[in-house]
Amino acid sequence: MAQKAKLALYWAASCGGCEIAVVRLYAKILDVAEFFDIVFWPCIMDFKYKDVEALPDKSIDLCLFNGAIRNSEQEYMAHLLREKSKVLVAFGACAHTGGIPGLGNVANRETIFQRVYDETPSTVNADGVRPQLSYQVPEGWLTLPEFYDTVRTLAQVVPVEYFVPGCPPVKEQVEAVIQAVVEGNLPAPGSVVGASDKTVCDDCTRIKEDKRIRSIYRPWEVIPDSTRCLLEQGIICAGPATRGGCGGPCPSVNMPCRGCYGPPPNVVDQGGKLLSAVASIIDTQDPAEFGRVADAIPDLLGTCYLFGLPSSLLFRVRQEREALPAKQAVEQSKAV
Amino acid sequence: MPDTRIGVFVCHCGRNIGGYVDVPQVVEYAKNLPDVAHAEHNLYTCSEEGISSIKRKIQENDLNRVLVASCTPRTHEPLFRSACQEAGLNKYLFEFVNIRDQCSWVHMNLPKEATEKAKALIRMGVAKARLLEPLEEIEIEVTPSCLVIGAGAAGMTAALNLANQGFDVHLVEKRAELGGLLRGLHKLFTGNQDAGEFIVPLINHVRDHEHITTHLSTKVKEVKGFIGNFDVTLDHGQKESAVSVGTIIVAVGADEFKPAGQYGYGETPGVLTQLELEERMKEGTLRAKNVVMINCVGARVPERPYCSRFCCVTAIKNAVLIKENDPEANVWILHRDLMAYGVEFEDYYRKAMQLGVRFVRYSLDSLPEVIMDGEVEGVRVRHQLMGKQVELPSDMVVLTTPLVPREENAEISKMLKVPLSSEGFFLEAHLKLRPVEFATDGIFICGSARWPVEVSEAVFQAYASAAKAAMPMRRGYVCPEAITSFVNEEFCGGCGICAVLCPYSAMLMEAKNGKRVAHSIEALCKGCGTCGAACPSGAIAMNHFTDKQILAQIDALAEA
Amino acid sequence: MNKNGFEPLILGFACNWCTYAGADLAGTSRIQYPPNIRVIRVMCSGRVDPTFILRAFSRGVDGVLIGGCHPGDCHYIEGNYKARRRMELLRRMLGDFGIEPERLRLEWVSASEGARFAEVVADFTKTIKELGPLKSDATIAVGQQH
Repeated sequence: MAQKAKLALYWAASCGGCEIAVVRLYAKILDVAEFFDIVFWPCIMDFKYKDVEALPDKSIDLCLFNGAIRNSEQEYMAHLLREKSKVLVAFGACAHTGGIPGLGNVANRETIFQRVYDETPSTVNADGVRPQLSYQVPEGWLTLPEFYDTVRTLAQVVPVEYFVPGCPPVKEQVEAVIQAVVEGNLPAPGSVVGASDKTVCDDCTRIKEDKRIRSIYRPWEVIPDSTRCLLEQGIICAGPATRGGCGGPCPSVNMPCRGCYGPPPNVVDQGGKLLSAVASIIDTQDPAEFGRVADAIPDLLGTCYLFGLPSSLLFRVRQEREALPAKQAVEQSKAV
Repeated sequence: MPDTRIGVFVCHCGRNIGGYVDVPQVVEYAKNLPDVAHAEHNLYTCSEEGISSIKRKIQENDLNRVLVASCTPRTHEPLFRSACQEAGLNKYLFEFVNIRDQCSWVHMNLPKEATEKAKALIRMGVAKARLLEPLEEIEIEVTPSCLVIGAGAAGMTAALNLANQGFDVHLVEKRAELGGLLRGLHKLFTGNQDAGEFIVPLINHVRDHEHITTHLSTKVKEVKGFIGNFDVTLDHGQKESAVSVGTIIVAVGADEFKPAGQYGYGETPGVLTQLELEERMKEGTLRAKNVVMINCVGARVPERPYCSRFCCVTAIKNAVLIKENDPEANVWILHRDLMAYGVEFEDYYRKAMQLGVRFVRYSLDSLPEVIMDGEVEGVRVRHQLMGKQVELPSDMVVLTTPLVPREENAEISKMLKVPLSSEGFFLEAHLKLRPVEFATDGIFICGSARWPVEVSEAVFQAYASAAKAAMPMRRGYVCPEAITSFVNEEFCGGCGICAVLCPYSAMLMEAKNGKRVAHSIEALCKGCGTCGAACPSGAIAMNHFTDKQILAQIDALAEA
Repeated sequence: MNKNGFEPLILGFACNWCTYAGADLAGTSRIQYPPNIRVIRVMCSGRVDPTFILRAFSRGVDGVLIGGCHPGDCHYIEGNYKARRRMELLRRMLGDFGIEPERLRLEWVSASEGARFAEVVADFTKTIKELGPLKSDATIAVGQQH
């Protein structure tokens, strides 16, 4: 019997949804198991990192890597799996463009730790305890990965052959990608697969008439007409600035697209284009009136870069570098 | 994929650039930029020598992109584009970098910084040039008719000139009769020709001409379209009408400034302006024996610093007429410098002096005073040369005032999308190189609408603008710049944002294979780029100003 | 505070019909202004895609100045109104990014306003000098090479 192709799946800074997306292949998962030998999938079974370290380089035929890179462990695994894989795929929005964890780029380690370990209402932490990179216990040294200031996409850390967008990638596209791999039918490396070259507007079946709007509404503020374009009803829908191929499931249930498939092929910065489009269609010449309409958008950065902040041009929020607290600095120097 | 071979030509422009920017250093820098196959400097790249060099080097060095770093594309881009075309290169493979008007001339005391800036600008230009694509222009038909706005000396002359060439002219005049300012004039300097003798034949020719349709008591309400195809709505008061023309000439003239509140003007009938004086002379009701004229009233003052050019000669003319009519009359002209230029005006001034017109120079810091007691009694003035106050007995004071822009200029400027100068007159494309046209193709300017002129100048300018307007109409077509939008249908999701933004309705949403996509109508697209800037799918490319080209310029800028 | 002779890098966009002509007029009138600005000519201020400005800041440009026609005078009728709307929204978002909104300025400069162009450039250069460099060792980096 011919040797089966080797498949690895890993999750970095993510939610687990991409694992579920693969499991959602339902019966087709059996075809996957028939074609591939799963050599590493820590979510499903008790694989160890040393199992991967023991593999020869480039011996994993396909690695579906989901999640963004936000700490040193994830970075280490990105490099390791890159070494050991022939084809490394950034699977899902987090690995592709940063995803929701990417919003961490509005903060940095110190402000996040302050929030988590000091400010949250139910936390009691009078001594200001912070996670340490290493800590000595009677049994030896315990270590934790280093938490970075900035979240990065997979491709910002290691070279990547293919990108499968989506939060998560829809079932039909996961099937299509697996099929393409099995048939050896993949485009040039560097391509986005499992998506179309057009925008979500192309998938969406709502009727488009006139894009000019005079107000902006939050999705919970109005019950939209389910046949008309959501953006035309004043609800900010990222569909025009988002790569399609998902089939437009969100607009089909009265929820605006939030951009999880990332930028269209010809767009350099998804959030910038969405901003430009929204500003352009607010139909007033009066700056005061425009300001009032724009005030209805509570979080412009979050709206524009919900899934793509690390892959955007500005990449992260500009902040003053904080000096590390003295205690942590001392402990770090004792790191193993 | 053939290599990109860029030729860079850096101009000294005599000392205009070379005197401040280290041009040889800039050329050396350009030589070392990637894809630059040739770099040189020229004394005047726009000269015969410079142009030949460009053409020769394109052939010799197998260049497929050309960059000239010199003055401004607003005047010289067409010249260099032609040079490229003549050497067999598509004219859109040419890029212009401005290192004079926006570099050497504005950083004259900072030669090092100016040189560094010139290098940076050229680096940015090369980055764009690398990505330029050949483009083809389309032909658009030109309607062989012209709209002339204003039927004064300039407007009527231009209308007749075009009509005599066989073009149809719509001559629009807001008043109930033709003639403009000429109607109010008595005699024309310097031959003292009766203004009526000049204007009546002109008016008759205009009225009788088969190619001129005169619209009196009519204003232009709206203008849509572009060169060759303007759609004009005329407002006749009770009704409106529409005409289609290929070109437009603005000849709306100017107004005489009425100096309310100065020197008693408006308070007593004995103080008038020069035009009002001419009216009295025409009616024959002039009785004054001691006329004092005050020049530069409302001109060459802080709130209106310009000189209206011919009012001095107008004052001299009227002074001469008064003296010829009544040698016993006393005429003084109080002035702050006399603008009597050239041979004829200088002679005229001498004639006035010989006839006994007296000239008194006053200064801005010691203005004349009109002594009144219900009626004008005299004028007190500090005689600058004599250095003392003199009192001139007077029964009439004539104020020589400038021409000022018409109030409707602002409205017309918005309607036609043409600019006004800071004084409020219309602003031509270039004072020396394109004096009777606007930067907007197909719209021309002549007469006092542009700058105060006297009748012969108005006529010259009218001939010039008519000649320019005739060019596209004679040829029958224009080739608009190929800087239009282009929709990559493979990326267009059919959102329709472009279609609602385009002010020319050049973007249409179409159904193709059951999918909605945008389509750009080349003949209507002006290339403004607002659709491209908004297009959230990146499907729209703005030819010659593409995202990639502009981003490359930005990256090159930042590569400090 | 001008941080020790910091010379900012400023990107300008000038619309062909108004601001670019006004800038040329400043040149023919020999009105001097600081040399930090490098202008990219576009046909209309409406061409300016917020992406361009984001790219400029991501590459460390310290300030971006956009010049267009006065409201009502746009050669393409309304391009400047669209520019104004886009820049307003962009300025708000720049604030979210920790980039001082003053680093992005939109000014109306007509073809006859040579002196005004020089004045605006001088004033904007001064503003950026006072704000300091966009990228420095004191900040966690914004933008990256793609």
